[in-house]
Amino acid sequence: MSKTLISIATGITLFASSFTASAAEKLNLQLKWVTQAQFAGYYVALEKGFYKAQGIDLNIKPGGPDIAPAQVLAGGGADVIVDWMPSALATREKGLPLVNIGQIYDKSGMMLTCLKSSGISSPADFKGKTLGVWFFGNEYPFLSWMSKLNYPTTGGKDGVTVLKQGFNVDPIFQGQADCVSTMTYNEYGQVLDGGLSNDELVLFKYEEEGVATLEDGLYVLEKNLKDPKKVATYAKFLKATIQGWEWAAKNPKEAAMIVLEYDDTGAQTEHHQIRMMTEVAKLLSNSGEGIGYLDPAAYERTVKVLLDSDSAPVITKKPEGAYSHIVFDKMKEL
Amino acid sequence: MLNIIKLTTYVGLILLQLILVMKAEVGFYQQTSALLFIWFAVIFAVTQLLNELTRISEAMTQQAKWVKPLIPALFAFCLLLIWESIIKGFAVSPVLLPTPSDILFAVFNNIPTLWADFQQTYLKAVLAGFFLGSLSGFIVAQWAVKSVFLRNGLLPLGNFMSAIPIVGIAPIMVMWFGFDWQSKAAVIVVMTFFPMFINTLAGLQSVDAIHRDLMHTYAAKKSQIFLKSQLPQSLPFVFNALKLNSTLALIGAIVAEFFGTPIVGMGFRISTEVGRMNMDMVWATIVVAAIAGSLSYGALALLEKSLLFWHPSIRSGNKR
Repeated sequence: MSKTLISIATGITLFASSFTASAAEKLNLQLKWVTQAQFAGYYVALEKGFYKAQGIDLNIKPGGPDIAPAQVLAGGGADVIVDWMPSALATREKGLPLVNIGQIYDKSGMMLTCLKSSGISSPADFKGKTLGVWFFGNEYPFLSWMSKLNYPTTGGKDGVTVLKQGFNVDPIFQGQADCVSTMTYNEYGQVLDGGLSNDELVLFKYEEEGVATLEDGLYVLEKNLKDPKKVATYAKFLKATIQGWEWAAKNPKEAAMIVLEYDDTGAQTEHHQIRMMTEVAKLLSNSGEGIGYLDPAAYERTVKVLLDSDSAPVITKKPEGAYSHIVFDKMKEL
Repeated sequence: MLNIIKLTTYVGLILLQLILVMKAEVGFYQQTSALLFIWFAVIFAVTQLLNELTRISEAMTQQAKWVKPLIPALFAFCLLLIWESIIKGFAVSPVLLPTPSDILFAVFNNIPTLWADFQQTYLKAVLAGFFLGSLSGFIVAQWAVKSVFLRNGLLPLGNFMSAIPIVGIAPIMVMWFGFDWQSKAAVIVVMTFFPMFINTLAGLQSVDAIHRDLMHTYAAKKSQIFLKSQLPQSLPFVFNALKLNSTLALIGAIVAEFFGTPIVGMGFRISTEVGRMNMDMVWATIVVAAIAGSLSYGALALLEKSLLFWHPSIRSGNKR
């Protein structure tokens, strides 16, 4: 056993030394979901050569159902991941020390789309209704909201019945749920495409209900931030990424077409992606520092929402060192 | 005398490794890789102990009965010890793989949740689907035995149906039958129908020529031939299918739950806790599923033994 260890250790040392010696630095980015305009900035930056100009050889790995970006990070399959803050903070508390190095979206695109015909016109009407909710790390804002409204999620007249919604909007069409979870930029469009019109629907945006949490952000492992070479690499990556997002926000149609080029599955359509890109552009952070800066006040708001859900605590204590501006500051020097 | 000393040394070495794993701080192999050498001694001790136990159990004495279950237990304990040592010793992230002790704690701390999941998945979906699927396969096989037309028609169709992957039918069933246990039972029916059909058909057709002639000489009615000759002789095949179906049913229910469920159920628990990075809870559910599967297989095997006392495989072969 020790001989194998020594040979593995030697191999890793050689590999690591080759990493720093190569001309373009290789970086693996794991996306939170499949190739779509939600991640347009990265694809645009790749296509337009922004990463190459910074000396980064980026490999984008699309996500999908049952791919947890945090696990890919833990297993070494990615250097940077795109993840949502609630899931990242929960993972950090479970023992995987990931740190936020940049925040791309500062507004939440999550909302609950309900049928007017089910009699729902305000959150007070949720009692006794069936709501479709995504799980796999996306259920935290919903659980916080239900806890704020004091509705037990176990069903019954005074609570709400929760369905584990697949990543589609079938329950609202099949009559299995009164409301479904949708993103403003994705599933809501699917509901409209499916035949329901705006007048038949009632929308509850998490931003307006005060339970929104920060979504797409970039995360790396904490130990890598202690290495100045790695921080420099991440800074170059962040700079190119921000350039990509700024270009995508100004040119939504072209950005959508770039995303379609990179879509290996062929499942996305032009119409859907252009709509998605236009909606996503509304969510990009435009605080004083621009896209990519994690506003500490926004971070605190998300932490508060998560800590306040007392029935099913997403995190049990305030996270320490969960975000860092070290990469953003390094980037400003470039 | 020497034997007792040897045995005590072996047990002592194993206990030493156990204490090391429990008391040392996480990452002890990374800090002192010399500790890995203890494993050579432990593995030697375990192999010698297993040899001793095997020798005792083969000796056909009174003690042999008590010693036999110790052998797989010791082997399993050793594997769990290796698992725990590697995770604790090399500081493997709990997000990738939890230790057996974490999993055990997760099982004991979450019994209400695990029980509710078990009720939803096993007692509702699996049992309903298993009985419905097996019964329908059995009945259709009766018709097929009497009609060549049905036989030739259903066999390729059944073959086709059984080849459909669960991940394909499950979302469709959820759409047709709703989110609750009915759709999972429907998936199980699709999965278990064909094995039962094929096996019952083979069983009903397997009657010896001698038996058939005997029944003919007794001027037995068709129903008497069926009940007294064909049915008992088809039971070995039927049990074959039942044991297979019990495994398929559990797999089908858990996988079907990945595609839409109310928020309770073993498949739901696995997929949700993976999303929350609670890997110890995932493994706890796996343990429950493994126990449920083993118990149902064991129950069917016992039933088979009691009903098929006349069959050669039960009569002579499996005495050990």
